[in-house]
Amino acid sequence: MDDVTRRVEAVIFTSPRPVGSDELAAACEERGERVNDALAALGAHYAAEGHGIELVEIAGGWQFRVASDCEAPVERFAGARRPDELSPALLETLAVVAYLQPTTRAEVAQVRGVSSEWALGALMERGLVEERGRADTPGAPILYATTTRFLELFGLRGLQELDDLERFALSADETDELRARLLANAERRRP
Amino acid sequence: MTGRDRGTATSVATAAPVAGPLDGLRVELDVFDGPFDLLVTLILRDEVDLWEIRVSRIVAEYLLRLADSDDFDLEATSHFIVLVAALLEMKSRRLLDVGGPFADELDELDDRAAGEELLASLLRYAQFKGAAARLAERFATHAGRLYRSVPVPARFQSAASDGPALPARTLADALGVLLEEPPAPDARHITDIAVTLVAELRRLRDLLVDAESFTFSAVAPRDRVEKAVTFFALLELHNRGEVRLRQSRPFAEITVTRGVPTRVDGPAAWPTADDDETASDDALAVVG
Repeated sequence: MDDVTRRVEAVIFTSPRPVGSDELAAACEERGERVNDALAALGAHYAAEGHGIELVEIAGGWQFRVASDCEAPVERFAGARRPDELSPALLETLAVVAYLQPTTRAEVAQVRGVSSEWALGALMERGLVEERGRADTPGAPILYATTTRFLELFGLRGLQELDDLERFALSADETDELRARLLANAERRRP
Repeated sequence: MTGRDRGTATSVATAAPVAGPLDGLRVELDVFDGPFDLLVTLILRDEVDLWEIRVSRIVAEYLLRLADSDDFDLEATSHFIVLVAALLEMKSRRLLDVGGPFADELDELDDRAAGEELLASLLRYAQFKGAAARLAERFATHAGRLYRSVPVPARFQSAASDGPALPARTLADALGVLLEEPPAPDARHITDIAVTLVAELRRLRDLLVDAESFTFSAVAPRDRVEKAVTFFALLELHNRGEVRLRQSRPFAEITVTRGVPTRVDGPAAWPTADDDETASDDALAVVG
């Protein structure tokens, strides 16, 4: 392992959070490309040698992660528990914030059709959503956005990795059927 | 629930829920996660004819959910009301003879636009619902992964602040001021209205014993509310026939003349149309 790779390994080892390649370049006093090469080499090394930990790119940086087959002893040692499941209402609210961020409580409620005050509070308690300033509109409502922890928990390198919202649109057939049932039925029933 | 359910109310509570793997463990045991969820599921998955659904059931279900939850979002509920109203309007228009006597009113209400708006909301909601399901998949895969967790280094745990150090006693005294009860506000300047209807009736009657007539402005108090009470007393006397009221034109002086009582007790007699010396109620206007 060359010198740069060793230094990058040392920095990432000590960090409790994902480290961006810019931070690594500054800390190691190296150019970006050298750091990127080192990251690739480091990741390959850990994978090839079958270590109990692996190097992953997540939440906008790089971090060591426990290999999935080694989780049990770590959980016993550290007393770590899997995070509680998220209810559909929380997931829905989280999806709206993730895709529309920064967004207001009112906008979330408008999309979901129900009050989202409780859901936003619960998501903030879990560290998945945070307040990020206020909107420039009358009333200056609070803006909400997702956190780094959200990216970590959902295995995302960054928000750009979220699936395209278009993918979840109803099919043309379903849309037509929905429209037909809402409007055309009225025509059919006209006396 | 499959197939059509004509004629009978589609019970929201018993319709097939959008079940997840952990239904029983969730704290909020909602069958549907909102009215849009409800509508989209009912229409698309359960293939229920929208026009057979009892909107009252949807509203009742929503009210139950509101009663259960602690927070109340005025905006979201208003939005729900608007959309349910659009739904109701679409349904109700079919009951009316379009083109008949109600045609003018209905021209303003565009059921197509209302339907399109409801459709757009439902489509948008459906997208996020799909995105949420995808997030659930990701969570199942990634949420259990373990990373390095490191506590705050000891040398940062007890960092001194840069600001001036104050003795604890000073801070406690400062906060203590906030905990004191504020003095009760002085309400002595607020008084009751000095004039009551009963008292005014008595006063005016006393005046009428001595004087056969007087003007309203001569006997009315300065305060507006008290003036109104006096005027009301005058009207009461007028109804009983004890006085006759005359006003040459609107907002002119009102002349009060002693009249002949038509009744001592019982309901007041209204002046008749041919009694043109007595001012009608419409022409009377309070001066000032």
